Amino acid sequence: MNFGIIVFPGSNCERDCFYVIKDVIEQPVRFIWHKERDLNRVDCVVLPGGFSYGDYLRSGAIARFSPIMEAVRNFAEKGGLVLGICNGFQILTEAGLLPGALGRNKGLRFICRYVSLRVERTDTPFTRDYREGEIVRMPIAHNEGNYYIDDVSTIKDQIILRYYGENPNGSIDNIAGIINKEGNVFGLMPHPERCSEKILGSEDGRRIFTSIVRSL
Amino acid sequence: MEKIKLLYEGKAKKVYSTSNEEEFIIEFKDDATAFDGLKKATISGKGEANCAISSRLFELLTIEGIPNHYIKRLNERDMLVKNVKIFPIEVIVRNRVAGSMAKRLGLEEGTPLDKSIIEFCYKSDELHDPMINEDHILALKLATEEELSTIKNLSLKTNKVLIRFFMSCNLELIDMKFEFGKDKDGNIYLADEISPDTCRLWDVETRMSWDKDRFRKDLGQVEEAYREVKDRVLNTPIKGKVRILIQLKPQILDAQGSVIMNALKSLGFDEVIGVRAGKLLELTLDRRIDQIERIERMCKELLVNPVMEDSEWEWIE
Repeated sequence: MNFGIIVFPGSNCERDCFYVIKDVIEQPVRFIWHKERDLNRVDCVVLPGGFSYGDYLRSGAIARFSPIMEAVRNFAEKGGLVLGICNGFQILTEAGLLPGALGRNKGLRFICRYVSLRVERTDTPFTRDYREGEIVRMPIAHNEGNYYIDDVSTIKDQIILRYYGENPNGSIDNIAGIINKEGNVFGLMPHPERCSEKILGSEDGRRIFTSIVRSL
Repeated sequence: MEKIKLLYEGKAKKVYSTSNEEEFIIEFKDDATAFDGLKKATISGKGEANCAISSRLFELLTIEGIPNHYIKRLNERDMLVKNVKIFPIEVIVRNRVAGSMAKRLGLEEGTPLDKSIIEFCYKSDELHDPMINEDHILALKLATEEELSTIKNLSLKTNKVLIRFFMSCNLELIDMKFEFGKDKDGNIYLADEISPDTCRLWDVETRMSWDKDRFRKDLGQVEEAYREVKDRVLNTPIKGKVRILIQLKPQILDAQGSVIMNALKSLGFDEVIGVRAGKLLELTLDRRIDQIERIERMCKELLVNPVMEDSEWEWIE
């Protein structure tokens, strides 16, 4: 299956994603510059982490108007798989492809460390290789990961990952990752691409990618 | 926003109620009358021109801090306004002698006036809108003394703003008619329209009339006059600055605000019991019609994330 990684000005995790998809799970993958308007036959779109547009105004607020986002929206509406990691998650909420918003961390600090997460649902194309309720470890690296929504009960079935043990950023209901109602757009603050090989201390992130491959 | 019920139809406009009882829609018609209804015609394009000109001028007045009933232009002929109760008074402000003043006092049209003159007419179709003075207004209880004083001040202030703006359109504002209204809380707003139907506008260079006098006096180029004023008004920049304040919604913990509050407290400012931090954006804007609506769109489409943030904005220049 073909992966496409969108590169915005200020993205900085696109190469890690590329490496994991190409060399770890051995799937075809290419970069798609944000100014392009066409995704050209991809099976899964990845919006990587980073600081698109310097995080100016709000994280993801300006990237959502990049030309490629129109194609990403159409792709998502047709049921295509979209994975947003960290800044990619922020862009997806700003674009309205996922509900809610990501505000500044409660502690006002950029947090870069491993956290424990609980996998809440495994009946999705992104998490089928996990066990329900499994506790996994992945690194987070963000300043705006404090998920907020007015009424969390409206998305209670869409919560895929929760911080386990300690909530690092004040996120409502410990939310670390959510999926859209249709089940094809997934956004998460942790970085699975940074923990997909044993040598990196954890390979808990790898199954996000293998789940996607097995779903298609 | 949709028109629900026709509330009033006048010579040049229709007023409709909307689903919001605080707001009306004014529709600008192409019909024109003069000499107390004796002369009638349809002037193609007048409704659209007057709607555009009025919208633009009301936005200018909003920037200048003059309260008016304008909310936004809905389309080429329709304007959304505040529901205000109109005082049955026409306020005329004159900067040069013209029209009825020239006739009544035997003065030559165009005679300059050292000081702007205010006249009042009682809006009454049966009585043919007779001229009245301030004592008449109080005797007839058309407005209170305080309201009348506000109306006069706003008229003179509006005149000043419009003189300056029209001058940059190469038009001299000779005289104008205003109407005012008040909302249910008693606030007074400039209402009605501001257009070549309600203002005399002379070209600064050619001294040609670019207003309803072309129709009244059969001067020709009637349709062109409305189009010309519309083009000049819309193409003249209104430069303005807008300040937009963006804050987290009150129910969201503002960690930055809390940290600032604690810092203040540690310095001994223990009277501080709350701090909310926010973002301030200053926008410098250039000529646009429908600017108020566009600012609201800027907030909605980019500047503010409604999931987390509230915003308010104001003109600062």
